[in-house]
Amino acid sequence: MEIDDLDDEELAFSRNYFLAKELGGSTKKSSRKLADIDVVDEQELRAAAAKIEPKHEKEIAALIASYKSLYSKWEFELRCGFGLLMYGFGSKKALIEDFASTALTDYSVIVINGYLQSVNIKQVIVAIAEVLSDQLKSRVRNASGSTSKVHQPFTSRSMDDLFSFLNGSNEEDKDCFVCVVIHNIDGVGLRDSETQDYLARVAACSHVRIIASIDHVNAPLLWDKKMVHTQFNWLWYHVPTFASYKVEGMFFPLILAHGGTAQSAKTATIVLQSLTPNAQSVFKVLIEHQLSHPDEEGMPINNLYAISRERFLVSSQVTLNSHLTEFKDHELVKTRRHSDGQDCLYIPLPSEALEKLIMELG
Amino acid sequence: MAPAAAPLVEFPLPSTVENIETNFEPFYVLHKAPSRKNSRKTNPCGKLRKKGKLSPSGPNGIENPETEERDDSTLEHLRMEAFELVWSRIETTIKDVLRDTNVKVFDDICRWVYKAFDAIRSSGTPSSSSASRPFPILTRADCKILFTGLVLTKNMEVVDDLLTFEELGYHLKSHRCHVASLSSQELSAKSSIDGCIKSLLRQLLKVTVDSADMFVLASWYREQGYYENPVVVIVEDIERCCGSVLSDFIIMLSEWIVKIPTILIMGVATTIDAPSNVLRSNALQQLCPSKFVLGSPTERMEAVVEAVLLRHCCMFSIGHKVAIFLRKYFLNQDGTLTSFIRAMKIACVQHFSMEPLSFMLARSIVEEENKGFQDGNRALFLEVLSKHASDFLSDSRYPLVEGTGNNVGNVLSELERWQKGWSAVVQCLYQVGKYGKVQLLDLLCEALDPQLFKPITSENSSRLQQGKGVSFSSSCELQYQFSSRKDGYIYQAIRKVRDLPAELLHQLLVSWEKITGCVPEIHEKVKDLLLAFKLGDGKSSEKAIADVSKRHASQKDLFIKYPKPMIEKAESFLSSLVSEHTRPIESVPFHELICFKDVRKLQLALIGDPRRRIQVDLLEFQKIIKCTCCNENRNSLLPCAHDSTIMYNLAQEHGDLINLHDWFQSFKTVVSHPRTKGNLRTKQGSTPKKKKDKPILENKSDASIQARFCTAVTELQITGLLRMPSKRRPDYVQRVAFGL
Repeated sequence: MEIDDLDDEELAFSRNYFLAKELGGSTKKSSRKLADIDVVDEQELRAAAAKIEPKHEKEIAALIASYKSLYSKWEFELRCGFGLLMYGFGSKKALIEDFASTALTDYSVIVINGYLQSVNIKQVIVAIAEVLSDQLKSRVRNASGSTSKVHQPFTSRSMDDLFSFLNGSNEEDKDCFVCVVIHNIDGVGLRDSETQDYLARVAACSHVRIIASIDHVNAPLLWDKKMVHTQFNWLWYHVPTFASYKVEGMFFPLILAHGGTAQSAKTATIVLQSLTPNAQSVFKVLIEHQLSHPDEEGMPINNLYAISRERFLVSSQVTLNSHLTEFKDHELVKTRRHSDGQDCLYIPLPSEALEKLIMELG
Repeated sequence: MAPAAAPLVEFPLPSTVENIETNFEPFYVLHKAPSRKNSRKTNPCGKLRKKGKLSPSGPNGIENPETEERDDSTLEHLRMEAFELVWSRIETTIKDVLRDTNVKVFDDICRWVYKAFDAIRSSGTPSSSSASRPFPILTRADCKILFTGLVLTKNMEVVDDLLTFEELGYHLKSHRCHVASLSSQELSAKSSIDGCIKSLLRQLLKVTVDSADMFVLASWYREQGYYENPVVVIVEDIERCCGSVLSDFIIMLSEWIVKIPTILIMGVATTIDAPSNVLRSNALQQLCPSKFVLGSPTERMEAVVEAVLLRHCCMFSIGHKVAIFLRKYFLNQDGTLTSFIRAMKIACVQHFSMEPLSFMLARSIVEEENKGFQDGNRALFLEVLSKHASDFLSDSRYPLVEGTGNNVGNVLSELERWQKGWSAVVQCLYQVGKYGKVQLLDLLCEALDPQLFKPITSENSSRLQQGKGVSFSSSCELQYQFSSRKDGYIYQAIRKVRDLPAELLHQLLVSWEKITGCVPEIHEKVKDLLLAFKLGDGKSSEKAIADVSKRHASQKDLFIKYPKPMIEKAESFLSSLVSEHTRPIESVPFHELICFKDVRKLQLALIGDPRRRIQVDLLEFQKIIKCTCCNENRNSLLPCAHDSTIMYNLAQEHGDLINLHDWFQSFKTVVSHPRTKGNLRTKQGSTPKKKKDKPILENKSDASIQARFCTAVTELQITGLLRMPSKRRPDYVQRVAFGL
């Protein structure tokens, strides 16, 4: 019976997939462009995004507050040696930090913001080790008054040493551990397999407990069985909050701002303005050519050189090439092969953007 | 970092954490542990060793909230202690069982290691002058043979074998071998042979060195003594290792073999020819392989289940649905013992964190440990436990049960008595079932099924008429009996008795006698049965097998009046055992104390299903958020719904590609168009400017709608439900998930 259910589920899944595929193919593909939307300026868009009124504020607050009743259970489970993994739609940052600062006051808590690009896992592990060593020292002092022997600083120790320190014996006090909160353990900064491997090894240490959140639907694919069963030892909690992903989404480009003509023209302008007037003029030559011959593959390099030389913009092929390199580096210009075998230069922007651009360059 | 960075607020709304600089720190310390634990949490009951400090908390009744809170935390600590006691018991049991199942193989391996070591030594030990030179001794090719034990794990999942190899390491260490183990990561292309040597040095010499040099290892080995003990290197999983690195490693070991007599043990998950698939031929030539085979996962599983759930190492048990779930999880999910044990631990934690009276389980354990000697602290601990427990028991939550007076001691001993009887019967069944290849988990699931514990009706009135059946609790006098399913495993096991030849039957009876040792009432009967068998009934029984037809004879009949053929006796004895003693735990009063039943909680904690559940969150937003306005109109998409919910609902109508322009337009239509009756999914883009209900909606600028659209897309992107536009398809996003 149960197995049948499973099969049904899988069947439904594949059916849905093919239906969706079919839908995409059979109905006329809408060819409307993103550019057709009259997008406001990016700054205005960002400002508006910051001012979005949250919906259902009361209900969401009540929902998040309802999880408070689970705090003691979570703490209990952490103490039993499990890691907590929170998932569900909505930012769980506030929830987890609230849990950590109200229910985990007896333990040191380190927070890792996995949604940031710049997480250095070694530094994190050193920090955990330092906090733990403080905690252990204060215990030892309380207990016997003796201070532990001088250690090599953690920053200069190898990873293996750090792990064996974190995984020290906790026979005397099972409750001596550091809690590590990881927002978005599936985030951009932590997504690579090496970091996940280190995190798993940290999680397996006797003096560490992990409370993490995931947002990506495929996040479990980051881990193999060894990590899941013996290292992270997750207890899953479905805690949708519907809180907005303000902090987590901070570094994602806004889709409308990104694709818009105005935007691409603007970035191009900024780049061009930083170049010499001669380089700008060479680029103008290219724009003019592309606007007057919209159907061609691009402008052959020889032609560009000839025209630029005529107008005294470049003195030699070498100068032109240095300009072109600059353009290519900023992805302002690309090359493609003309049908007669010649290399052509073109600007990967739509005509509207080019028009805007030429106006801005004056 | 300032510990108070995140202010504590009543409801942690997103706005409170928005602009804190710590949001942009890769990591920071939220707060440090106070140097002394504050009083609330200071072990209110202490560890079991110092029970004296326990404050008698005001039990019955309404005192000030502070006391109540302390009471709560006291109880929580009691439950925590109970959990630790119970789980450490279970864990030790599991470890012992696993070690026992492997001990034969381990002994074989150990013997082989020393034999191989002798063989290496017989080819000569290095002279003191040559031993101090920092390069291997050049010898004949046949002296460069590396003895290799291939351990077939019969298990595709390496996760179960980690523990096995760890145990093997301990075992060999206890036999004076120097043991180091290398994981597949250390034998990967990335860490190369350098990493392997460093790892060996770290494990054997306990030092971290910068330069990986075998000579360091060789001189260490020389200092260990006169070549008395072998060095054993364990590679857990040969299939996962990088072939070239492992080959290099093997060649290197074989070159140094005279100076460092090394024996290699490799775990093989697939077949015996795995090394030839992985290794280069020149490395393969150096090996002198021997084969060892570990038990299969199913065997280990049966052994663990039997030890943990039947040979009651502690009172903790699981309900029928939980057992069914665990069986399914083991068979369908990944078939690893590790995940099964983890599931058991989660069940255990859930039980102790939810069931208020669960701390009583500690009592039976402490009592047991305490037998024979008096310990004041423990006595006090027991007293405190009982005190708290009786408060709970007087609570209306637990029904009053006759004969126990709801007294803690009675309740517990009653439960204990039940468990002994029940598990003895299930074990007896399992002993027979083994002959018929009945799996223990199947048997267990059936024996736990409360549905089978039925009131005796006219259907089985024949038993009533015979007027037999001794119930173990006064509360269930004869009204209920366990009747096994006709197609069930228990029935199958009972029937199996018939097919046994006299010899096996005798063995069976002897094993029953051993099993039932702790339940005197059954034990006596088994002894009688055995005696009868020995008196010669056994001989005549074989020919009677064929004409056995009716079985429902009472025990009195069995033993005194009608000396029937032995096989029949045994069979009817077993079936009477089943009907009398197999009372499923869920129909025993007070089973809540020791039994974990909440299968849903276990399942949720064990198997997260983010792919499905995050989509459900989005699609059924109103159910979770419980808002009145959205609940009224379930079928329509309302502008007041969460933006991402609207967007994801709209996305469902597209194929695998979503045109951003269209999507934006329909989003705009939904959010700028107030409540409409019926389904909003039909496009109403042409009439977005009709009169609006609410004034707020009017001043919704384009910018704000665009911003909401962007934010919602970003949110969906974070959940991974969308793939962003590519250069090739700048106007489309791609759907990733189809259906739940």
